Amino acid sequence: MRTAVFHETFASEERLWDSPTARRWMLAFALSLFTLPWWGSDYLLAMACIVGIHVIATLGLNLTTGNAGLISLSHGAFLGVGCYTVAWLGKHGVPFWLTLPAAGFVTAALGLVVGLPSLRVKGLYLAIATLAAHFILTFVFREWESVTGGVPGTSIPRANLFGFEFHGDRRNFYLIFVCAFVMAVAARNLARTHIGRAFVAVRDRDFSAEILGVNLLRTKLLAFALGAFYAGVAGGLLGYFYGAITPEYFVLTLSVFYLAAIIVGGLGTVLGSVLGALFMTFVPELLRLVAHTSSQWFPGVAALLLPMGQVVFGVLIIFFLIFEPQGLAAIWSRIRRNFHLWPFKT
Amino acid sequence: MTDSIRRTIVQSIGAAATLGPFAIGSASAQAHKGDIVIGASQPITGVFSFAGTAMNNGLNDYVAWRNSKGGVAGHKLRYVSEDSGFKLDQGVAIFKKIMAAEKPSFFYGDSTQWAKAVSQDAIASNAIMTSSTSLASVVADPAGMPQHIVPGATYPRLHEILMEYIARSSRGAAAKPNIAYVYADTEFGRDGIPGGKARAEKLGLPIVAEIVTKQSGIDVAPEVAKLRRAKPDIVIFQGYILAPMPEFVRQLREAGLNPQIMGTAWGLDKPAYDALGALGVKLSGVSMYRYGHETESSMINNMRQYLATARPEVKNISPFYISSWLSGMIFAEVAERCVKANKPLTLPNMKAALESMKEWDTGGITGLLADLSGHQIPVGRMYAYDSDKKTMEPASGWIKV
Amino acid sequence: MSEFIEYGLVGLLSGGVTALIALSFVLVYKGTGVVNFAVGEVMMLGAYLYYAAAVTFALPPWLAFAIALVVIGLLAIAIERVVLRPLSGQPAVAVLMATIGMASIIHGGVEAGWGGDTYSPPTLLPRTPVVMGEILIPGTVLGNFAVAALLIGGFLAFFRYSKTGIALRATASDPVTAATLGININYSQRLTWMLSGLVGTVAGVLIASSAGLSPLLASAALSVFAAIMLGGMDSILGAIVASVAIGFIESVAAGYLGGKSRDVVPYVVVLAVLVFRPYGIFGTRTIERL
Repeated sequence: MRTAVFHETFASEERLWDSPTARRWMLAFALSLFTLPWWGSDYLLAMACIVGIHVIATLGLNLTTGNAGLISLSHGAFLGVGCYTVAWLGKHGVPFWLTLPAAGFVTAALGLVVGLPSLRVKGLYLAIATLAAHFILTFVFREWESVTGGVPGTSIPRANLFGFEFHGDRRNFYLIFVCAFVMAVAARNLARTHIGRAFVAVRDRDFSAEILGVNLLRTKLLAFALGAFYAGVAGGLLGYFYGAITPEYFVLTLSVFYLAAIIVGGLGTVLGSVLGALFMTFVPELLRLVAHTSSQWFPGVAALLLPMGQVVFGVLIIFFLIFEPQGLAAIWSRIRRNFHLWPFKT
Repeated sequence: MTDSIRRTIVQSIGAAATLGPFAIGSASAQAHKGDIVIGASQPITGVFSFAGTAMNNGLNDYVAWRNSKGGVAGHKLRYVSEDSGFKLDQGVAIFKKIMAAEKPSFFYGDSTQWAKAVSQDAIASNAIMTSSTSLASVVADPAGMPQHIVPGATYPRLHEILMEYIARSSRGAAAKPNIAYVYADTEFGRDGIPGGKARAEKLGLPIVAEIVTKQSGIDVAPEVAKLRRAKPDIVIFQGYILAPMPEFVRQLREAGLNPQIMGTAWGLDKPAYDALGALGVKLSGVSMYRYGHETESSMINNMRQYLATARPEVKNISPFYISSWLSGMIFAEVAERCVKANKPLTLPNMKAALESMKEWDTGGITGLLADLSGHQIPVGRMYAYDSDKKTMEPASGWIKV
Repeated sequence: MSEFIEYGLVGLLSGGVTALIALSFVLVYKGTGVVNFAVGEVMMLGAYLYYAAAVTFALPPWLAFAIALVVIGLLAIAIERVVLRPLSGQPAVAVLMATIGMASIIHGGVEAGWGGDTYSPPTLLPRTPVVMGEILIPGTVLGNFAVAALLIGGFLAFFRYSKTGIALRATASDPVTAATLGININYSQRLTWMLSGLVGTVAGVLIASSAGLSPLLASAALSVFAAIMLGGMDSILGAIVASVAIGFIESVAAGYLGGKSRDVVPYVVVLAVLVFRPYGIFGTRTIERL
């Protein structure tokens, strides 16, 4: 049971990890992830890279949709923008520590443009406006052959740090891990600042927020731009990881995937983003594992189980929406609280 | 005291829960010494599932058949495949998983995207060759992708063969036939078109219309209107398995036009020629393999015999099945050449073995002896629909480009 | 010039079927306030059920069609009860995601049940093209438009003149007042969903008859969202007018710019219009309260 956690200043109350225990757990978690290449199999390492990329993208979408309440269906396309930016800059010899931020900023600029309709429309009309942005962006991916390579796609030269090449999963893992960690802490910090609170005010009742002095337009545009920045960086890392990409990757299903991740994980929380991305990435893997192992005892089950991937996806979403609308993050906090208060009941 | 014990217990449970499934997974998959493993990431579910099941069966059956004939130079083949749902994330994850667990020497993937994404890892591992059903020209690249094999002719080559045939058959006619291209806005649709157009220009064949449709091809009325005005004599479809070809034909008929309908490769499969045959259209086109119903090929006869016993419910052998069976054959031949020369199965040795297959007998799947030095088999033959037999019959000899 | 007229006419007439899909969406939005991203999948499921009844069970086409309608109607009621009732107070994102989840379930179920192949269901309408000089209107386009126009006309009359229709409109505009006037809200909302499903099925069967039946059918609904945004999400008349207009724009774009621009051009146009009319041409401007 947690005891003796007293805050004597506002600063200490607002700290991200407010007790020595919390700090130690965080350190243990970070260390275990840092040493993953040693104790994990190649497969786990590759999955960790993919999860890391999805975590960054989900963090971004959670800022735009979870915190600020602006539904964005163009997130998948933003990933594409980041990826192609990195590809194009990489071909011109720009090193990764410039291309990744550049990808972020380019995508953020595009996010600003996509967010412009929020001047005039709100709610679900805005959602469909982002759908329009998705179609326009994917059209550009397929047609602008000089930059994106068109339908056959493009290759991305490996990240390079003064001659140290990031080939192979191990090196890419560290790149992704560092980016994900930094961006997660940044998102968490954002929630504590006036910008984060403005986002939440806009989500809950933007009319009232405007009266209280929050500049609506700037806040909404910033929400889109930030979310897009994260997506751009995630897209760039995706490019470095895969080495080659085609426009077929950035489809509407990807945006839906990220929306599902934030809903399942928990709207508006960083922990929710991480848990949601982890969960959604592993659901198809788990399903395949179950189908594979069960097909050894019940052949033919696999044929029935494998197409159910989409059904499972839909059922999970509806299940979480009806029974646990606050997502996995709420379940996690509940368990944590149980442990903190043990042996007393909550 | 109780706190820290509790915490240790919780931590170890957590660690075990995270690592457990993966430990079980790797423990149950012991690689047998001496087996040659073929891994595969097949799109058994998802948008490509009609092809994925066939491709999975093709490789699976080839491995079983080959093992029943003694394997490869004394070694047995083993086939490990998983469903990728035609998603890149899953396909690459499956690749890494099987690479780690089974140490395969060959890997069969589901798409061009996949082939390019795993290319660098495959080359770095120095121990595998990959193949896929994709006939895109970007992956038939001995220099840039030395590990990849295309089990057929690439789309541009197929279109060049088509143009050659049209030119030859229209020799002596008063005017060259007007050709229209109708293709889908996907790689399957677009890849071959530039090659076909270039060859048509060289041969002086006029292309009067170039219609691009959406991938799904649901509502094509304006596209047909555009096509109709060009008054083509020949319409070449590319990128469709079935829809929207019948609708195009129906609307063209309503307009009083009756052009020849041609296609390539996967667009000449049973769903297409059946549906178009029912409309009275004689579909014709370039196929890189013999059809599953033909009897001149010993290997296709083998396939039929195997299927009769193992999968009696399968009545039609699709070109996807033949393609993956052929990939299996190529893998086995490469492995056999290396083993017989006492060389280990590393990438340089396997690549050399592949490129030494200059006059390889595919058992009749492709008409001429195959030359794989370019990492593809650039031959094809014209087939045309025979309304009496209700199948596709050969309409020319085998053409090599 | 005749080219332009032809593309235009074909587009306007194809817009009829799009109008049906848009109607399906707007009915639900107007009646229950739910953005239904599953319109495409419900449409597809209706078409598959028709195919199953007509081909697998070898029933006559009209009977199969009726059965498909009945099953979809029941399914719509079930969806409303099981999924949307528990979510009635949740934020918009949640309900949106619930419909997306539903769409996934239906899509996955259809793929699991019937596989990814394309089928050809029997046609219900005769195909006779109309020729006017150089312009040719294909038979399916005309037939589909006729059916769509009839159905939409019927709906407009229903909402205007019949008691149930007026009750539905009352529930849509102000549920509380409607309840005080004795209208059964639950029943109205259920009926709205059922009607939406029926209209979607009709659209699905029409499209499948001409384009073939495959899981890709659901993607035909994506262009409908542009029409809905243009016409206003809660206006039936707006949905119809906008669908026909979008059909026109799409067709002309496909004719002159090629089929690959078909997805993009309607959305670009709609975005441009939104600058001047943010709630769509016929949408109601919502008054926000503190």
